[in-house]
Amino acid sequence: MSTTDFTRQTHHEFLTASSQALVDANLQLSLANVGDTLAKRNREAWETFPQSAPLRELARQIKDATLADLAGHLETLEASVRERGGEVHYAGDGDDACRIVTDILRSRGAKRVVKSKSMTTEEIHLNDALEAAGIEPIETDLGEYIVQLSKQRPSHLVAPALHLRMPEIHQLLSTDAGETLPNTPEDLCAYARTRLRDAFATADAGITGANFAVAETGTIVLISNEGNARLTVTMPKLHIAILGIEKVIPKLADLPIFLKVLARAATGQKLSIYTTLANGPRKPDELEGPDEFHVVLLDNGRTRILEGPLRESLFCIRCGACLNVCPIYRNIGGHAYGGTYSGPIGAVLTPLYDGLTNNRHLPHASSLCGACQAACPVKIAIPEMLIQLRDQLHKEPGEMHWAEAQAYGLWARSMRSPRLYRFLTWLATRTVGRVLPSGWLKKLPGPLHGWTKNRDFPAPARERFRDWWSREGME
Amino acid sequence: MNREAFLARVREAATSGLRYRVHADPTVTRAMGYSTIEEDLVARFTAEVAKVGGRPVVVPSMEAARREAAQIFRIYEPRSALCWRHPVLDRFGLTDWLRTERVTQIDSALLAPQARAEQRRDMLAADIGITSCTFALAETGSLVMAHEFGNERVASLVPPVYLAIVSREQILADLFDAFDRLGERLAKRDWPSNVTLITGPSKTGDIESKLVVGVHGPGKWHVLVVDETAGEKPAPA
Repeated sequence: MSTTDFTRQTHHEFLTASSQALVDANLQLSLANVGDTLAKRNREAWETFPQSAPLRELARQIKDATLADLAGHLETLEASVRERGGEVHYAGDGDDACRIVTDILRSRGAKRVVKSKSMTTEEIHLNDALEAAGIEPIETDLGEYIVQLSKQRPSHLVAPALHLRMPEIHQLLSTDAGETLPNTPEDLCAYARTRLRDAFATADAGITGANFAVAETGTIVLISNEGNARLTVTMPKLHIAILGIEKVIPKLADLPIFLKVLARAATGQKLSIYTTLANGPRKPDELEGPDEFHVVLLDNGRTRILEGPLRESLFCIRCGACLNVCPIYRNIGGHAYGGTYSGPIGAVLTPLYDGLTNNRHLPHASSLCGACQAACPVKIAIPEMLIQLRDQLHKEPGEMHWAEAQAYGLWARSMRSPRLYRFLTWLATRTVGRVLPSGWLKKLPGPLHGWTKNRDFPAPARERFRDWWSREGME
Repeated sequence: MNREAFLARVREAATSGLRYRVHADPTVTRAMGYSTIEEDLVARFTAEVAKVGGRPVVVPSMEAARREAAQIFRIYEPRSALCWRHPVLDRFGLTDWLRTERVTQIDSALLAPQARAEQRRDMLAADIGITSCTFALAETGSLVMAHEFGNERVASLVPPVYLAIVSREQILADLFDAFDRLGERLAKRDWPSNVTLITGPSKTGDIESKLVVGVHGPGKWHVLVVDETAGEKPAPA
């Protein structure tokens, strides 16, 4: 195959991938209703719930205060988990975390694990590591299961199979079933329910992420609408939760503040159907729940972010609201971003985790319209962070083309000197402005042509504003 | 990675990051996020249950509750019920009632002496789950479940049909109230191994954003609210 499939690659050129996405008819159909459904629900949630303004501010303050003493809260979390009979592991990076998990599973002879939707395990490519270790991972969130069958990656934080249409999903599940399934969403869900029930009943371990971890109680909080997270922490004998260190919140009393804004931001629900507080292994008399409870704390670049100016990106609670309202995401979908996290927050996180020059186009994949910040349940200043990343990028050696550097240099100099500015605007209107009737430049010359590859450049006007102003006699 | 090195790195980064702390508005308080409920808690709770796709019924007595439950049983004709052991279910008279309905009661008393494989087989085969709750929430139509021996998670999770029997005094107004009550249990060191808030039938929108119920948990979600004060009040017009 000569064409690259941008839904599968782990790392790729953003410009190529987004151009492919724009002409992918299926994807465009899938993305078409994001604005009418998910984005609308987010807007309505904030409009109809006046308490959300102080709650979002409080949630933001709790995140900020927690990060200020993050090590202290992690120690409290560890002590609470231990007290209740669980174990805590520390993973410096993704490979570390995968090794910790596979070691635990191997030493117990585990062959098959059920997983509840987790972006953190996507981030560290845990499924690949499990398969390499001879352990079968089965995703149990319906969307994740479909994405796993398609051998793609999730394209949305909370709706992983958003990019797939009914015929593709029908095909994938029918192939999995070994027969042609009836072609309705209800029948396909019924098939997945039966298929995955078997997986839950036979799995040796359950692996989850965490929406939050409460330090005071050693609680792993899991939120889902389907119930698969509950089954994952109820049926298997072993539960392993893998979470980034920024997921910790100090107190049980902090949790309702986040719960009140998370589901509203994500799907417009007051609460998701199931909010589970997994507080440790089963007690001796209990009939269900895991015998063993492991918490893996993951750094994987988070401390690098914590010490720097984009620290606020660690406030993110992964609701997906910024994706739903973003005009860029709604045109290109999640895969084109090329990282685990997509949309506006992905455009901040991916360069931070994976390197700025590797992802040089992501900070520019935004119109800076501010919709993301307005939708965010913890009010993260995403546009400002994107501007900071753009600024950092231009300071990277070799990042700026000489022609671009010249153009910006000239622009900067002219803005500082009124005489030079007047001369250049006079020159522009007398030359390009007079010969070009349409008002738009379709193609800029030489190395500047990159600007006009996908858009037009506004041509200078026929007359300067300054000249028009004095001609009209307005002082 | 070594624990001490890991935590030392976090500590160092958190300290360096202090200069990038965000501006905090000191005027906001937790109380500003509290949803005050003006109407009757039962009315609000059942309205919210209906909004999330549940089927609420309010009855004035346990006797009426048994009649309603019998109606629900006529729809699904269950042969076995996976049940909690709970004071509200005792007041309902669940054990005797299930016997008259000729439905096998599966609960902790039956399961505890069994081997794990048998327990699992019986749990998975149940046709309906019947529980009460630890608290119910008027703000959201949720059931708050503190799971422990006798009040198993599987009852509200594994069977395709679910019936909750809630008594009026179990209903709290706001999510904050529920967490205050859970905090009291924590302070008394009576902290369960699992707590779940359930707000409606199991749902997914993963296939073309179309809503489908009952994907992993129950798709039929019935809530019977027993409001014994209702008989004392004039019936609504």
